[in-house]
Amino acid sequence: MPSPQAVISGNGDERRALVVIFLRGAADGLALVPPVTDEHYYRARPRLGRAAKEGVKLDDRFGLHPKLQPLEEAWREGELAIVHACGTEDQTRSHFEAQDLMEHGGVVAGGWLGRYLQTRPVESRGALACVAVGKALPECLLGAPAVTVMQSLEEFSIGGRTPAFGTQLERLYAMERGQLGAAARATFSALVRIEAMRTTQYRPEHGAIYGRDEFSNGLSQLARLIKADVGLEAASIDLPGWDSHFAQQGQVEGLAGKLAGGLAALRKDLGARMATTTVVVMTEFGRTVEENSAFGTDHGRGSTMFVLGGGVHGGRMHGAWRGLAPEGLERRGVLEGYGDLPVLNNYRNVLASVLARHATGFGATETASVFPGFEVKPMAIFG
Amino acid sequence: MGAGAVVAAGSGCGRVQDHGAEARRWLGKPTAPRLAETLTGPTATELDAVSHAINRLTFGVRPGDHARVAAMGVEAFIEEQLAPRELADGMCERVIRHEFDSLADPAGTLFPRKGDASDPLQQLFPAMKDRGARVSHLYEFKDKVLLDELTRATVLRAVLSERQLYEVMVQFWTDHFNIDPSKAEAKWLKAADDRDVIRAHALGNFRELLRASAVSPAMLWYLDGRVNRRVKPADKPNENYARELLELHTLGVHGGYTQQDVMDVARCLTGWTVRDKKKFFKGRVEFRAGEHDDGAKRVLGVEIPAGLGARDLDRVLEIVVAHPSTAKHVAGKLCRRFIADEPPEAAVTATAAAFVRSGGDIPATLRALFATEEFWIPAGRGRKFKRPFHFVVSALRATNAATDATKPLVDYLVRLGHAPFRYATPDGYPEAASHWQSSLLWRWNFASALAANGIKGTSIAAENLRAQLGGDEALMATVLGRVPSAVERGAYHESGVGLALLLASPAFQHC
Repeated sequence: MPSPQAVISGNGDERRALVVIFLRGAADGLALVPPVTDEHYYRARPRLGRAAKEGVKLDDRFGLHPKLQPLEEAWREGELAIVHACGTEDQTRSHFEAQDLMEHGGVVAGGWLGRYLQTRPVESRGALACVAVGKALPECLLGAPAVTVMQSLEEFSIGGRTPAFGTQLERLYAMERGQLGAAARATFSALVRIEAMRTTQYRPEHGAIYGRDEFSNGLSQLARLIKADVGLEAASIDLPGWDSHFAQQGQVEGLAGKLAGGLAALRKDLGARMATTTVVVMTEFGRTVEENSAFGTDHGRGSTMFVLGGGVHGGRMHGAWRGLAPEGLERRGVLEGYGDLPVLNNYRNVLASVLARHATGFGATETASVFPGFEVKPMAIFG
Repeated sequence: MGAGAVVAAGSGCGRVQDHGAEARRWLGKPTAPRLAETLTGPTATELDAVSHAINRLTFGVRPGDHARVAAMGVEAFIEEQLAPRELADGMCERVIRHEFDSLADPAGTLFPRKGDASDPLQQLFPAMKDRGARVSHLYEFKDKVLLDELTRATVLRAVLSERQLYEVMVQFWTDHFNIDPSKAEAKWLKAADDRDVIRAHALGNFRELLRASAVSPAMLWYLDGRVNRRVKPADKPNENYARELLELHTLGVHGGYTQQDVMDVARCLTGWTVRDKKKFFKGRVEFRAGEHDDGAKRVLGVEIPAGLGARDLDRVLEIVVAHPSTAKHVAGKLCRRFIADEPPEAAVTATAAAFVRSGGDIPATLRALFATEEFWIPAGRGRKFKRPFHFVVSALRATNAATDATKPLVDYLVRLGHAPFRYATPDGYPEAASHWQSSLLWRWNFASALAANGIKGTSIAAENLRAQLGGDEALMATVLGRVPSAVERGAYHESGVGLALLLASPAFQHC
């Protein structure tokens, strides 16, 4: 029988929370993390490439998009790792197909995050163990033991405006022995905390300031849940709008600003709790190396993944990289011109490393159950 | 940038959207079934045989059910439920026909309409566009609409149908032969599986159900049967379906089969495949002799001679259905569903014997189960924890709710982790209470929202119901299936939201 405490705090004393951010629409990894010292980059992107020079320098090969500057602190302090040339082995350039494949973890039923949560012990499946911020259940959470889809904590209310409902319910459940009684007591205890959250104005800590956009607001809700110890194990949130076929500069600037601003605020707000929190940022595929005639980029292959959190082997780029010289690129059919940034680092190898951090005893068997049909070689993102 | 890119750009970002809003709307408002003129609730302080039978055979009692079943007798009620075809179910059928025409499509046309100029939807599109339709509705999102419709239809049937035991068994077999439509083409084909496999045989014969499932296009996709082939002598069969056939669908995990049996069953089934969506007659199941391993096999000790070709399939199914472990496995699962999470051995034995005697006749097997002493023992009544779907549907039935079963309602099932057709692995949603007890919060929230008419698309007339029943006491007895205890009565009145409290109470979580 799970102890009441275990039901409330989910994964017990570890209190680890995993936040997965999906950049829908195929984010341009080469704009977010440009290879600033690669001459081929500027040749392929004579106009779009100019902005790269104004960004933060990460190492002797890469820089950060100027609007990602708020992430510089995490990078310097070693809490941010970046994987470039990252994505799926599948060749599809359909947003839908690629998102489904990546969120399912291949041609397989259910989502990778859902299957991960299935490997977790029954006692860590509290009512708020898994939260999807948004209107609908994302594919990655299909098959999860239980998911709460929410846009705001304000949606939660027990018994509406009648507190007697809770009181009387507690009285009835107090007479229940065994598992049901224990589960009910744990739920009432969690309820007290949710009610406190719901009815008070949230004040982010450590001077963190969230933007007013939907994404930042979602992150602030997640920070609240993480800090309230309601047993949150995994959360999903989207930042859509990255399909930059046309005049992409302003579009990418705006989105990069939201992404970095939100992440920096979350990190600051969580403070010491970042030690047990991991944020993963992913996208379905990258964009063409070469800019198109409309100042945009089209559907490509490799993009970037970000991993932010405590214990991350950060402040460095992970995985293979071959540069943008034409011979290192992946051919785009019979078309002339530049090829695509190849996928040298499979997204599963990044996620497997993250999951091993989040669940003790997450070994080869568990990895295979989350990513069936693929030989996973976890990258050393943590260490 | 070509036209194709424009389409992708227009629909590509923010793909996770509110599909519920796209589902067809009801013409007029959903209506609740008409109740009998006079309603009387149970008068016993414990669950009597009538309440117990209703609790276990249905998705929950409706006002008036207790009196109706008491008048006809429990035995007659069980017989009525075992013969669903003879039960008039006009309202439910009308609602389903009106709301979900796509679910009646033959399997092949449940595929996306992309690229088919003769498709009526494509021809209608210009007009639809003027009324807000987007290109994406014709394309990638269609599969989500299909799943929405299937989910809604499943909920509505459970709520509205008079053929309650049939709906309960549909859910039972849906779990037993679980298919997660999120796997590749199964997303188009599960709707046909639901209709042609599960619903066609839910109260029929197990052997025929198994046969239909084995050649169901959705199952061939879901468990990789379609790629189980032997073209060259070195080709190894894909064992996925063969293993689940033995482990889950028939003998059970410790049913006495070996790895050699799994491999030989897989060899017997080589060559059965489903046409790909890109070809003509997509979704059609066919046997390709050239991909079949036609050598001799041995399954569970029975020789299957070489050269039987497609007939291997029926030989295999005959052998596994006849195996004593299959009767025991199926009977054990039925007893867990209808009696207790840990069912008494005697009940399983009696049920298994009826399964064997009747040649896998499902009504005969259930009739035997319902005749066991163990099914009726008073100490076991009201002790089975309802799974979330059962809880939600029983609350809708108890309150005679009118619902359209759209997203706001289904969201509660998602939160409770029990929305139909969302279970990834082939073992189906678990039955035992321990899996379902950590999400009480959403049960209470649902009870509270339902009683306060706070779920969009779902409404109840609590005052009318209370008046029609003749007051609080009768309402409590109707919902609980017995007269409330003193504590329950006190809590009902003191809570200020009596109906919500009843639905959220420990007693209502059980059946």
